[in-house]
Amino acid sequence: MDYSKFISKLSSRRKPSCISELRRALDNCSPSLVWLASGMPNPEKFPFREMTVTLEGGKKLTLSKETLSAGLQYGPSHGYLPFRNQLKRMVEQWHAPPRWAESDLIVTVGNQDGISKALDMLLDPEDFIVVPDPCYSDFLCMLSSLAPQIVAVSVDDQGMRPDILQSALEKAISSGSTGIPKALYLVPNSCNPTGTNMGEERRQEIYAIAQQYDLIILEDDPYCFLQFNDKYLPSFLSMDVDGRVLRFDSFSKVVSSGLRIGFVTGPPPLLQGITLHMQASCICPPMLSQVLIHELLTSWGDEGFKKHISDICQFYKEQRDAMIQALKTHLTGICEWIVPEGGIFVWLKVLHLSDTSAMLLERGAKGDIVLVPGREFMVDSTKPSPYMRAAYSCVTPEEMMKGMENLAKLIQKEIELQSTHT
Amino acid sequence: MKYSRFLTQVSRNRQPSLIREMTNLLAQASPELVFMAGGLPNAQMFPFQAGSITLKDGRALTIHPKLMMDCLQYGPTPGYPPLVKQLKDLTQQLHSPPRWAEMDLIVTAGSQDGLCKALEMMISPGDYVVTQEPCYTGTLSILKPYKPRYLPISGDQNGMCPEALKAALSKWKPEEVQDTEKDVPKVLYVNPNACNPTGVSLPEDRRQEIYKIASEYNLIILEDDPYYFVQFGDRKDFPPSFLSMDVDCRVIRFDSFSKILSSGLRIGYVTGPKPLVERIVLHAQVSLLHAPAMSQVLVSELLKLWGDEGFFKHTDAVQAFYLDQRNAMLEAAEKHLSGPDLFTVPLCH
Repeated sequence: MDYSKFISKLSSRRKPSCISELRRALDNCSPSLVWLASGMPNPEKFPFREMTVTLEGGKKLTLSKETLSAGLQYGPSHGYLPFRNQLKRMVEQWHAPPRWAESDLIVTVGNQDGISKALDMLLDPEDFIVVPDPCYSDFLCMLSSLAPQIVAVSVDDQGMRPDILQSALEKAISSGSTGIPKALYLVPNSCNPTGTNMGEERRQEIYAIAQQYDLIILEDDPYCFLQFNDKYLPSFLSMDVDGRVLRFDSFSKVVSSGLRIGFVTGPPPLLQGITLHMQASCICPPMLSQVLIHELLTSWGDEGFKKHISDICQFYKEQRDAMIQALKTHLTGICEWIVPEGGIFVWLKVLHLSDTSAMLLERGAKGDIVLVPGREFMVDSTKPSPYMRAAYSCVTPEEMMKGMENLAKLIQKEIELQSTHT
Repeated sequence: MKYSRFLTQVSRNRQPSLIREMTNLLAQASPELVFMAGGLPNAQMFPFQAGSITLKDGRALTIHPKLMMDCLQYGPTPGYPPLVKQLKDLTQQLHSPPRWAEMDLIVTAGSQDGLCKALEMMISPGDYVVTQEPCYTGTLSILKPYKPRYLPISGDQNGMCPEALKAALSKWKPEEVQDTEKDVPKVLYVNPNACNPTGVSLPEDRRQEIYKIASEYNLIILEDDPYYFVQFGDRKDFPPSFLSMDVDCRVIRFDSFSKILSSGLRIGYVTGPKPLVERIVLHAQVSLLHAPAMSQVLVSELLKLWGDEGFFKHTDAVQAFYLDQRNAMLEAAEKHLSGPDLFTVPLCH
């Protein structure tokens, strides 16, 4: 694939730092080389000597002197090498990408920073980006600042509709713009905010359309480990025969959100643009965070990781079940919803209201229930939306029951309020 | 000061993320509120329970389960609140910014990420940038894609020369360009202490002259100061920072823990006028979300354990170490590289 056409003008001007290029000399150097090139602080002066963490179940992990030292010093911009190698092995195992030999992987400061830098790399203002509608609100926030041309594609219970995608792309191409449709963004598993999963056949249809219009696919998949049934849904990466997928993985839902560690897999010419931007900004992803996750995964092995994922899925499945129970008890006839097969969100539609924003933002807190209004996720946020997004990750079943009871009352009041106004 | 003239269109376009704003509702809400608006994962499912760090002085930092949750869960974009408070107190103590009430602070993933976001906030392709010359390569890497028109300002063994700065800006009449948005320099970048790569520091009188010129031409001063704590000499003799003389509220200051606590933790902080720090917060909100939480908690706990006395005792020890290193380096240079004007003795680094 010719990747140069996808790179924004700004990104095309990024160059590696001279010092990082000089570091290549260290790869095969003689032991008598005196290295005075990098501005590394002397780690002898860092005040930390030893670190131990206790895992669930009581097991202790003590970082060796070398490992802690690595955790406290600057590291490579694309990630701590043992950790990257570990992640590559896992990605190869889970996805068997058809072009694995031509792919690479970098660590990012949370997967969202990877996405943000991918957009900076790809988009000039005149370019088109395809998004599902509704879409993850932070992604829309990123786009609102870059202000590219947005191709919004309506969704059904599997996500983006291929027929609408096709016609929207045709419209974009014939619009006379100097820009080109460059990328397509989606969250294929437990989509934020709708909670839907895209089926295998639908994924293949979308991939085929991306091929036809030569788009980069931004596969944002933070909930891939939070799936409640055993149905295997192949990732876009696993069907990527062209090398057009940038896949964004996250540890935020399964190991830690605060450590800020995610990773991106894809074609090296595209990863390069993200890495160069990282080099100029954070310099490298947080080393201690990478070291800890690497030690954890090593200590677990494949079996331990599988068990942890199974435990998490069990927990969130029970949370989902409690949430559905609460919805059925209090919101039958008031709202509609699709039961999510994974993740942490339910997307609710209020049957007798045209918009939920004022109700939730102005009156929700007083009514002791806060959900996110659907408008926040719509590409055109000026249009009314009867939807709401509820997260069931951090509330107890009792709180869910109470919350849905409060929500039912809030909606009733709102319907009465609307009818007195009309 | 009017700050909108310094912002790129992209930065002006930034809006707060509603979901993050909604989290503020929790602060004012009744205990009965059922909050289902955030997309937080359940931290009880994270596999790390507790931790312990032994310091080189033998003391230990304990990360008990509640503190571990703070290390592992999403946090506020401006930073872990206890650390933000500590850093604000430290900044006020060290610099007494004259317009402190109009300033704010954000913890960043290393000071360079703060600098990168500040430059991305203000520089559009082709804009003028006033910098010291030679300049830190990291800053040049940030700027390179923007193809800026550099106004490189030469210096001597006392850093940037105010006369050279005046000369470079003399093409414009200050009263004509003060409020102009396009085609005029608006940003001045400087390492006041132990400049990278020259190692030289600006004495007080030069800083005041440079500030005055920046004020005349309405420039934002980017004070990039990662070697502040490892300046050689007595702390009471440190020359005042640009932040400490910032009567106009035009300084964005970048501080770092990389040289004294750890570079790998990726913790730095930015102090500046509220409207500009807010733009950086909005950018962080949609990119990395916040500086790594565990790193922030560790730095906070360490500062708490040490107190001011322990902290300055540590920075003094680091400073003493690098002074020995400098002296050894000079000896080696004098032995093998002697010749007139071959090198400058760095006053600080």
